[in-house]
Amino acid sequence: MSKKLLYKTTSSFLMFAIIILLVSAPVFYYISEWLYIYETDEVLHFHKGAFVKESHKNFTEKNIAVWNKYNLNVMIAADMGVTKDSIVGKMSFDSIANEKEPFRILYAPVDINGKRYTYTEKISLVEMEGMVINIAIMFLFIIIMLLIGIIWISKTSAAKIWKPFYNTLQQIHDFEIDKNKPPHFIPTEIDEFNQLNKSLEQLIEKNTAIYKNQREFVENAAHELQTPLALFQTKIDTLLQLELNKEQLSIVSSLNNDVSRLNRLNKNLLLLSKIDNESYLEKSTIVLNDYIEKHLDFFTEQAEAKNSSIITEFSSALSITGNPALTEVLINNLFLNAIRHNEKNGKIIIRIQNNQLSFSNTGQTALAIEKLFNRFSKINSASQGNGLGLAIIKKITEINQWKINYTFNDQLHCFSITF
Amino acid sequence: MKILIIEDEQEIAQSIVSYFKTNGIQCETAGNYALARTKIDNYDYDCIILDLMLPDGDGFDILKKLKSKNKSEGVIIISAKETLDTRIEGFNLGADDFLTKPFHLSELLVRMQALIRRKNFQGNNTIVFNEISVDLLSKTITVNNQKLDLTKKEIDLLLFLIGNNNKVLSKGAIAEHLSGDMADMLDNHDFIYAHIKNLKKKLHAAGSGDYIKTIYGLGYKWENE
Repeated sequence: MSKKLLYKTTSSFLMFAIIILLVSAPVFYYISEWLYIYETDEVLHFHKGAFVKESHKNFTEKNIAVWNKYNLNVMIAADMGVTKDSIVGKMSFDSIANEKEPFRILYAPVDINGKRYTYTEKISLVEMEGMVINIAIMFLFIIIMLLIGIIWISKTSAAKIWKPFYNTLQQIHDFEIDKNKPPHFIPTEIDEFNQLNKSLEQLIEKNTAIYKNQREFVENAAHELQTPLALFQTKIDTLLQLELNKEQLSIVSSLNNDVSRLNRLNKNLLLLSKIDNESYLEKSTIVLNDYIEKHLDFFTEQAEAKNSSIITEFSSALSITGNPALTEVLINNLFLNAIRHNEKNGKIIIRIQNNQLSFSNTGQTALAIEKLFNRFSKINSASQGNGLGLAIIKKITEINQWKINYTFNDQLHCFSITF
Repeated sequence: MKILIIEDEQEIAQSIVSYFKTNGIQCETAGNYALARTKIDNYDYDCIILDLMLPDGDGFDILKKLKSKNKSEGVIIISAKETLDTRIEGFNLGADDFLTKPFHLSELLVRMQALIRRKNFQGNNTIVFNEISVDLLSKTITVNNQKLDLTKKEIDLLLFLIGNNNKVLSKGAIAEHLSGDMADMLDNHDFIYAHIKNLKKKLHAAGSGDYIKTIYGLGYKWENE
């Protein structure tokens, strides 16, 4: 699955940010907890040092009970066998908070009047929890702000930087070689994009020139062929008038067929190149039903020569906007295509439904759709067609943005055009 | 009847000349613009067949010249250019008909006959061939003064055949005459057979002679027995 370029760049930023956040949060928590405990322990040692220093002056055994009575956290207890300072972390009941809280407790041996006692001091870590949470929230806030900022900045700046790229992309997408509208790229400050645009411009220029040349060639060739064809035709007409025997007649007859085939081919080529040159621009409204009915006689005559019957099914009147000459060519070609490729005793159904016109004719097997509309792709080699009929149909539908569709159902080839 | 063929392609001009000659039409040819100008300045013709692309000039200029001299010649343009603009310009400059190359000589002949008939409108507008007479205005056909019921296509076909009296007409040429541009796209012209058959039958029923001769595999010919 392909994704947008901007999504790609920001998504890596986002991934990085999430990983940093997930990793740094617990690390941060444990480091600050450790630091707090470390500091707390320092305080305990400090208190104990101060006690030892003070107690030497005038601290007697009697004072111990008094001391213990008024001090909640610092106790002098009978010797517990502690030989050196040790600190433990412990959950212990806190009478003030009325629940179990974490404490750091220092056990240290002290000598009072030559007698060994154990000094205990505990400090609640409740404060730490609140502080760590506060710091963590602040830290998180800063990190999130930072990330949002980074992502936003990278996204907007990337969008700005990549804008010419997307513009170029859009223009290339819209570019059609047969339309006289070369793309116009916006100049950018980014060297690579300028290079890209320049290369594209050159590429398009070169191809358009080649395309134009070829189009002109086809048109000129078709045009130039008309004079020799006229010569050919008039000479055959003259030849026909001579006293010919049966053998000569059959040669002239086949020559006659050849010249009319050449003629047809040439006319179709001319038509195609003219459509390419946008010679048929003016448009008007055409009611298809009327046109078909007007020419039904002619086509019925043609169909009858192949023993085909024509059935019309018009469920509504369909009026379209298009070039009249080309629309006529389109309908005639569809009509003749249906007649030409119909089977003996087959039927032809012309249907108008909503905004769709379809021509169906009897057939045996479905046609290969991928080649169907290519120039000179003959459906079957025995056919008399020159392989341009469907190409012309396709071209006309293309320039009008109509849709042509081929289906094969119930032994019927069906070409339908959606307007 | 005298016509001028202005066409630089000598062989086409010669084909037209030889085709028309058998119908008693006198043809002159001009292969270039200069010669054509001299001829139209010095002589009058019934009809001019004009090619638009001449080596030393434009056919349109000849049309303009004719118009400026108030000449009454009918003009049929024969051209390889078949764009709508060319046609419109031709008609605007006073041409009477337009035929795109390549064309059938038979088609050119009937068009020219029709043009000349139109020009001489005040005269009788009836074509008579032995016992058959065609009134072009009312489009009625009579055989031995008996009115014949023919379709429009059959009348067209009859006129085409009579117009090309004694000439072999290919099925293609007939198809093109009857259905115009549409015929270009057809790959067989067998439908002509039905029209010929019907026409023959109707003419025969009215007691007319059998003038339509079938040319093996190729077409038909109108021939006085």
